[in-house]
Amino acid sequence: MTKSVSQESPCLAVNLAGLKLANPMMTASGTCGYAYEYQDFVDLHQLGAFVTKSISRDPRPGNPATRIVETPSGMMNAIGLANVGLDVFLAEKLDQLKQMRQGGPALIVNVAGHSIDDYVAVAGRIAQEQEVDAVELNVSCPNVGDGLTFGTDPKLLKELIGYVRKAMRADCKLIVQLSPNVGDITLTAGAAIDGGANILSMINTYTALAIDIKTRKPRIANGTGGLSGPAIRPLAVYLVSRVYREVAQKAGVPIIGMGGIRTWSDAAEFLIAGATGLAVGTSLFADPATPVNIMAGLESYLAEQDMSSITELIGTLEMPVR
Amino acid sequence: MLTATQPQSVSNTRRRFDAQVVSNTSVCREHFCLTLGIDPDERGPFPATRPGQFIQLGCQPATLLRRPFSLAGRKDLAEGRVELQIVYRVVGVGTRWLAQLQAGDTTDLLGPLGNQFQLPEGKSLGLLVGGGVGLPPMFYLAEALKQAHWDAVAFVGALTEDLLAVTFGGSEPAESSGEPSLCIEEFSKLSIASAVTTDDGSVGLAGRITAGLERYFDTLSEEDRQRVVLFTCGPHPMLHAAAKLAQKHGVDCQVCLEQAMACGMGTCQSCIVQIAEPDNPQGTTEDGRPWRYRLTCTDGPVFNADQVIF
Ligand SMILES: Cc1cc2nc3c(=O)[nH]c(=O)nc-3n(C[C@H](O)[C@H](O)[C@H](O)COP(=O)(O)OP(=O)(O)OC[C@H]3O[C@@H](n4cnc5c(N)ncnc54)[C@H](O)[C@@H]3O)c2cc1C
Ligand SMILES: Cc1cc2nc3c(=O)[nH]c(=O)nc-3n(C[C@H](O)[C@H](O)[C@H](O)COP(=O)(O)O)c2cc1C
Ligand code: FES
Repeated sequence: MTKSVSQESPCLAVNLAGLKLANPMMTASGTCGYAYEYQDFVDLHQLGAFVTKSISRDPRPGNPATRIVETPSGMMNAIGLANVGLDVFLAEKLDQLKQMRQGGPALIVNVAGHSIDDYVAVAGRIAQEQEVDAVELNVSCPNVGDGLTFGTDPKLLKELIGYVRKAMRADCKLIVQLSPNVGDITLTAGAAIDGGANILSMINTYTALAIDIKTRKPRIANGTGGLSGPAIRPLAVYLVSRVYREVAQKAGVPIIGMGGIRTWSDAAEFLIAGATGLAVGTSLFADPATPVNIMAGLESYLAEQDMSSITELIGTLEMPVR
Repeated sequence: MLTATQPQSVSNTRRRFDAQVVSNTSVCREHFCLTLGIDPDERGPFPATRPGQFIQLGCQPATLLRRPFSLAGRKDLAEGRVELQIVYRVVGVGTRWLAQLQAGDTTDLLGPLGNQFQLPEGKSLGLLVGGGVGLPPMFYLAEALKQAHWDAVAFVGALTEDLLAVTFGGSEPAESSGEPSLCIEEFSKLSIASAVTTDDGSVGLAGRITAGLERYFDTLSEEDRQRVVLFTCGPHPMLHAAAKLAQKHGVDCQVCLEQAMACGMGTCQSCIVQIAEPDNPQGTTEDGRPWRYRLTCTDGPVFNADQVIF
């Protein structure tokens, strides 16, 4: 099929369950703080959305050092959800984020918790803020023992999401960030959708272990850590393609793809696999301008593919028929 | 020149810069001195820097994450071009990759990052205590002290002579006396005397860096002691020993810390250090001191030694 494409550059705008973004590029939670720490290095207004570090009800100091280690094409972290807590977030961080939002990007606040009560309290309170476009639930952080349970148990996950959805402002979107540390991710994805999630984001980090062979101890003080970066990209692309084809597409629930995105071609893979949004985490440490650089690459690629909008690319994967 | 005088219109914001290798020369076994040339970007020249600050240097494709290095020196050239110097030891993948760089090669960096050594009012005698790869920031600090008309003495230590990343010249390093002399060019060109210690006694006084420092304190007049600030950078046990000595002799001490870093920008929360602080503590030590985690990359890398929980 041939189409006439105008000389204008292809449109990068996407629609995430009614949340309209100028482009699909976002930051991944936990990799650019509350924005002000990162704004010296990139023009935040160029992003489609900004996602904050996870916020919990109470402040959390996080895990002892050493918290990170580099591994082949990736890194492991066990930050332990260190964050300022809900009250300080509202009092000291939110205003700057609101200001940033006026310049363009949607504001997404990531929320973590120990219990259904925690999630309901924090997500409910944050969603009262009109400028918060979406809340992302971190149910998959493998670093804190209790974080794992919601993200790996479909029944519990559905229950949690049901309560959180009810506690939130109706037009504030609920994103559920899926953990890859499960046997069958379509079950947790399905449960999240049944519970009322508007958007899925995937994936959080893979639980991993790096050992110091001299001391025979883990290289991260916490013991295990979450693996991220290009090392997990093909795994993430696979999971996105499965969730898209087996659950999300039917349900009309869009996916935010993440896991090792570094270049525009990585981004294109996620889009073809079925992602509508794209989040960049680890690669921001190598180059803070990664999301912005990806946009230029995507535009040329779409033009080359004769596509006038990025939406034409989403979910176009042709898998061999078995 | 140490700090650039910046015209008002240019941006002092830390950011990413392209850098060209001007030279990359071997200093001693496993140690290299790398000079990077940085041209202004659209927002102006590389911002002003101070001793204690560091850069996050790209080592791609060898490593995914950048590697942090303290500034060892800076020169401001014509047309806003800046040359930064770092001295590094080859310890792994990233530094091995750096070692093969040649004049004309390119990489990039984030900077300037971190806080700086402070020169408090009323003090005027700096003791520069640098062990191993803690030495480079001391070269830069020595220049700043001279500009501020401070007196200074350097205490330089390593395991053994050929791991000392300095240029010997002028007088011989004192052995058993441990007395500072004009024996290291990086310091003697600024009229700063140095005391050298090696663990194996291959050059200078045999023993730990603090052995030379202890002797120096014994010879110090009360009047001079009042003027002293001890600045130190190096391996953790050395920092701890130097901090204890400073406390024993009642002098201020500033330590430059290292911690594993992913971002260097203050976003990832990886580079924490326990700092004694009475307000909003996150825990208490066994001996009852309240502490909080601080970030080495943005709250540090320089901290007051009496606040660091070693
Ligand atoms: C603020 C700061 C300033 C620094 N300044 C200098 C400097 O001026 N000159 C210099 O030579 N080095 C300096 N370092 C240490 C330097 O960053 C590391 O040596 C470097 O990151 C190692 O990279 P690599 O890829 O070669 O080693 P890797 O392959 O990553 O690791 C090899 C070995 O080095 C150890 N290592 C890795 N990172 C660090 C670290 N940050 N500190 C201590 N050990 C580490 C690892 O545990 C491992 O044993 C500084 C570090 C910080 C945080
Ligand atoms: C240092 C670091 C901190 C992170 N912190 C959080 C967090 O607080 N909450 C969260 O939901 N995910 C967190 N993540 C996971 C990322 O949001 C992302 O899901 C994951 O890293 C995969 O993307 P990447 O490969 O592009 O980094 C963190 C990741 C890293 C590397
Ligand atoms: S290195 Fe990321 S916060 Fe310090």
